[in-house]
Amino acid sequence: MKIGRNEFKMEKRATLSGWEAARISILAIIFALTLLSLLFILADVNPLIAYREIFSYAFFNPFGLPLTINRSIFLLLCTFAFIIPYKAGLWNIGMTGQLFAGSICAFAVVVALGGKEFSASPSPWLLIPLMLIAVILGGGALGAIAGFLKGRFNVNEIVTTMMLNFITFWLISFLIKEGGPFMKSGGEGQSFELPKSIFAPLIKGVPFTIIIAIGLAVLIYYLFAKTKIGYEIKAYGLSPAAARYAGIRISMIPLLAFILGGAIAGLAGYHYFAAVPGLYKIPKNYGEFGDLAFYGIICGLISQGNPLAAIPVALLFGGMSAGGRFVQGQLHMNFGVDYALLGVLMISLVAFQFFYRYKFERTQTNPDKERIDVGVHR
Amino acid sequence: MIMVLGGAKRGEMVLEARGITKRFPGVLANDQIDFEIKAGEIHAILGENGAGKTTLMNILFGLLHPEEGEIHIRGERVKFKSPLDAINMGIGMVHQHRKLVSAHSAIENIILGHPSAGFILNVKKAEEEVQELCDRYGFKVDLRAKIWQLSEGEKQAVEILKALYRGAEILILDEPNSALTPQETEKLLESIEAMARDDLAIVPFITHKLPIVLGISHRVTVLRRGKVVACLETSRATEQSLAMQMVGREVIFRIEKTTVERGKPILQVENLSALSDKGFQALSDVSFTICEGEIFGLAGISGNGQQELVEVLAGIRNVHKGKVTLDGQDITHASSLDRWRRGIGYIPADRINVGSIPDFSLVENTAMNYFFDDRYSQHGIVDYKNMRKLTEEVIAEYGVAAPGPDTKAKNLSGGNLQKLILARVLSRNPRLVIADLPCQGLDVGATEFVQNKLMEAKKGKAGVLLISEDLDEILSMSDWVAVIYEGKFMGILPTGQAKKENVGAMMAGLSLKDNVT
Repeated sequence: MKIGRNEFKMEKRATLSGWEAARISILAIIFALTLLSLLFILADVNPLIAYREIFSYAFFNPFGLPLTINRSIFLLLCTFAFIIPYKAGLWNIGMTGQLFAGSICAFAVVVALGGKEFSASPSPWLLIPLMLIAVILGGGALGAIAGFLKGRFNVNEIVTTMMLNFITFWLISFLIKEGGPFMKSGGEGQSFELPKSIFAPLIKGVPFTIIIAIGLAVLIYYLFAKTKIGYEIKAYGLSPAAARYAGIRISMIPLLAFILGGAIAGLAGYHYFAAVPGLYKIPKNYGEFGDLAFYGIICGLISQGNPLAAIPVALLFGGMSAGGRFVQGQLHMNFGVDYALLGVLMISLVAFQFFYRYKFERTQTNPDKERIDVGVHR
Repeated sequence: MIMVLGGAKRGEMVLEARGITKRFPGVLANDQIDFEIKAGEIHAILGENGAGKTTLMNILFGLLHPEEGEIHIRGERVKFKSPLDAINMGIGMVHQHRKLVSAHSAIENIILGHPSAGFILNVKKAEEEVQELCDRYGFKVDLRAKIWQLSEGEKQAVEILKALYRGAEILILDEPNSALTPQETEKLLESIEAMARDDLAIVPFITHKLPIVLGISHRVTVLRRGKVVACLETSRATEQSLAMQMVGREVIFRIEKTTVERGKPILQVENLSALSDKGFQALSDVSFTICEGEIFGLAGISGNGQQELVEVLAGIRNVHKGKVTLDGQDITHASSLDRWRRGIGYIPADRINVGSIPDFSLVENTAMNYFFDDRYSQHGIVDYKNMRKLTEEVIAEYGVAAPGPDTKAKNLSGGNLQKLILARVLSRNPRLVIADLPCQGLDVGATEFVQNKLMEAKKGKAGVLLISEDLDEILSMSDWVAVIYEGKFMGILPTGQAKKENVGAMMAGLSLKDNVT
């Protein structure tokens, strides 16, 4: 392609360093924000003011920042729930179902130990660990169904995880609504509140689940970088036939990947319904958390399955969804800024992954014929 | 009616390529290549894997665009935007990996995409015309048969007929004689010569099987590392000289077969049967023994149960009936990993999809046969540092041409990939080596290397099961020859008593008794 004296040429990249990938992602974010500013202009809002409001609320406001952090932790856990099966070449679309299944188990534990009674104050030393085990088992078990069917009978995991989402969605509905075992006394279509004694401990106002999330990031990174089981999962993910040749038990890998993924999604359920201050229940609008969980897929894809890279991505998405919702009310916008932001960011980040594989080179048809890079894309 | 004979007359220049250059990231695939062919000529292009043959072929067929250089057809300069342009200019391509619709009949495949095939197909008329082509050039194909029912040779004939029916005057044949039996090859050569007599220009691209090139072609162009290193009349070339040009050094054709004293039995297979993926009996009642220091060659056309046999021995397919013992221990139901540990080393036929993981680095690919080994992983942690050292060692020892151990396997050429797989498997010092089509698709140099390494394994007292479609390879390498046909062994005989014709007939389904004269 020729523009003036410049000739542009598309070339395939042989390698891509982590920094190049990060630079491309930042460009994609800038591109998305520029694109979205058109929407603000159409709505008669100065985009610079809108973005200032969004970012300052999301990252500097005493009310906004905790919201951002809580959403980010949730997103991060959902991302990990996606990443592990993704490394095995499998698509976990069932984080929603898995986190609901985990939450159901955790609340069932509370009910079983009498925590639902008014004025009960069960011991946190017993109940919190039990709830954590329950979410892990519940989420893992739901994941196991999809993993087992995939490994043993080669049933498409996208379909099974998706269908399990619906089952758990309606199961929760049954449990928390009128007459359900988790019903709040007096109805209201939401679950009972957890007794104060088993509120998850906070670290400077942030639920301790942040430690779980960051610890898992390191652990998952280590799993795939060093361990034998990580090697087996990666090998299966890239080529099941080659994995079978190498002696890996290939029916076990999907099962394992989905148990791990489901268990982590269960922790995401624990985080939002039992650890975020001010909630401590399964609310009426629990479906919205299910929707947010799907952004784990996006974060996982953008971070290319790297759990450490997923941290800033989840933080960005968490912040944008919190800040977007805030400016919508603040500036009296008539459209859903939060999901518009997330949507445009997602499309832009995914589209820019093109530059992970290709780069543009500019050659100036100067007499000296020197090759100059477009700078940013290298 | 037939458009076989285009405008070009015998001896007229039909295709001329000048200064063709094509780069890929980090590789100069074609460097100033000149090539020409006249009507009625058979002009072979020879080269090792990675010499730039495929690139050139794709450029001539319009799949790739050269960065420099020109192509002239019948004196007219052309620029192909797509293969359709090439087809319309009279170029026909016969792919090595057949591009046919297997659920359709031969004739349906032939008229697929033909300009005269409009909304309503006149199959009958087309069939008559194609039949005429068949008779003229000696192709024996049932045009009404479905593609999946045809043999490799028949499928190839269908591809050639398709090109001819489209009016091709220049026929590009990609590895025309791979996967054919000796008899089928013979017939193919006759057909090629008949077509050349009708003033077709024919360009076979060949990596191995030099004698065939010498037998029928008029001229040969040899490529090495993207450049033309020789272009000469075939009458002035010898097998040795061509091989030397291709490889860039002298090649010894006769592999030196060393006899090793026959040791104790390693592998004993008794009345083994197995089912195919579709549940048919793919292997029935096979029995044989492989001892220390011997190569057991298994000849046969692909798809006669070899793959099932190999997979059963490697532990990735269940035994239906029968018994397998390794060094006297029953391993009939042992897992694949267990067999690796006990000393079975398996070199799969499909090195890209089974034998390696293209997106893995060479270190990770080496780990495929070592990740379970206590020397390279303890307590579930893989010792990648040590694994890297091992990879560097085997790369050096086996001469794998790669920038380094962190290169991805997909960047290796076929020969280098096979060397890596070989290195990985043989460095484990296996008791039994299962080599499934180890030299398929490899160039002369790499084939020689692989064969020597298998010979070395034999000298080291390993037993080797060698599966090949190439009779010459089987006969020159093995101590025993067995022939498999439709899942049954047609006979097992010492190589000394095996004649090429007999084995060839057995490959086609005649039992040993029937064809010994």
